[in-house]
Amino acid sequence: MAAVSLSPVQASLSPRLLSSHTPQSTPNLSFHSLSKPSIPFPSISLKLYNPIRPCSLIIAAAVKNLAETDLVAVPLTADEFSKKLPSKSGVYAVYDKNDDLQFIGISRNIGASVFSHLKSVPDLCSFVKFGVVDEPDRESLTQAWKSWMEEHIKTTGKVPPGNQSGNATWIRQPPKKKPDLRLTPGRHVQLTVPLEELIGKLVKENRVVAFIKGSRSAPLCGFSQRVIGILESQGIDYESVDVLDEEYNYGLRETLKKYSNWPTFPQIFVNGELIGGCDILTSMDEKGELAGLLKK
Amino acid sequence: MGSRGANMLISRANRMKTKLQSALEATTIEIEDVSHQHAGHAAVKTNNVETHFNLKIVSPKFNGHTLLKRHRMVYDALADELQSGLHALSIVAKTPQEEEAASRR
Repeated sequence: MAAVSLSPVQASLSPRLLSSHTPQSTPNLSFHSLSKPSIPFPSISLKLYNPIRPCSLIIAAAVKNLAETDLVAVPLTADEFSKKLPSKSGVYAVYDKNDDLQFIGISRNIGASVFSHLKSVPDLCSFVKFGVVDEPDRESLTQAWKSWMEEHIKTTGKVPPGNQSGNATWIRQPPKKKPDLRLTPGRHVQLTVPLEELIGKLVKENRVVAFIKGSRSAPLCGFSQRVIGILESQGIDYESVDVLDEEYNYGLRETLKKYSNWPTFPQIFVNGELIGGCDILTSMDEKGELAGLLKK
Repeated sequence: MGSRGANMLISRANRMKTKLQSALEATTIEIEDVSHQHAGHAAVKTNNVETHFNLKIVSPKFNGHTLLKRHRMVYDALADELQSGLHALSIVAKTPQEEEAASRR
């Protein structure tokens, strides 16, 4: 018998952390699924000690309970997937061929998530149960997940193996982002080389450099954000420099405007040459010109 | 009222329009003030009016020039505005031929 205390960590509710890239807290347990339309971690503390069942365990769920939900054989082709599993938000539980529950996850697209699990761990994905959550805000999804987790723990005394801490089988770790580059050792260190020269060196030594407002993991302006989005969606290896960093890039905004003769940010350089700002990058992306230019 | 005062009263969008018209002989200029979308933006701490604009401009002078060059031509025409608080400009710059081709599609 297990007593459970489940509570999402407050910090993970801040809007920045809700963006799919930056779950910064390390969760004990995770329900973050492999597929892209997923939701970042709540952090959960689970204590498997003795049994006075607290009333707070009973959480009204938006979905049927786990026992009442039908077990569906996992289809093997993408075609069948779309017929049998909804591409809707909700909670799902994956079972292996012995009907042992392996993982409980939530997703913005149940079908896609299960499909990606099938791709990565086919041996563990024989059957699936799912519950569609009609109003898929973060809280209802978390609640649905909690109710299934609790039900399973209550009946078996065990956490599904895929949800145990340290088990990364079902979870895609967010890709590590490169740090933003810094132009100077610090605002109060006297530069021996003019800033223009440092800019020149930086853009010539790195194939693609994006001068943005904010960091690459948390851009502070919509245009910078779009630029990062385009570069990442193209899988481009690029360096970023935060022009708002007053400590390590002091004076960069004014100097860069003169260097490139371009009055606004973001600015994207390829092989030492300015290719433009957000509009130009967007337009090149739409015309499919980017791949060629950036992969040269 | 002196001309300087009068100048302050004309909206930036109108000044931009006049400047672009004379510098680039534009056939179409559409300017939209989207500053409100950027209020509270990290770099717009004070005076966050007339800072962000969307511009669509069609000019025969863009013929044969890259997007980069076209944007530079726009920025050159608006140098004073950029000096005095114009912060960001989203630019669509086309030649009359490109505009016509786009509208036929």
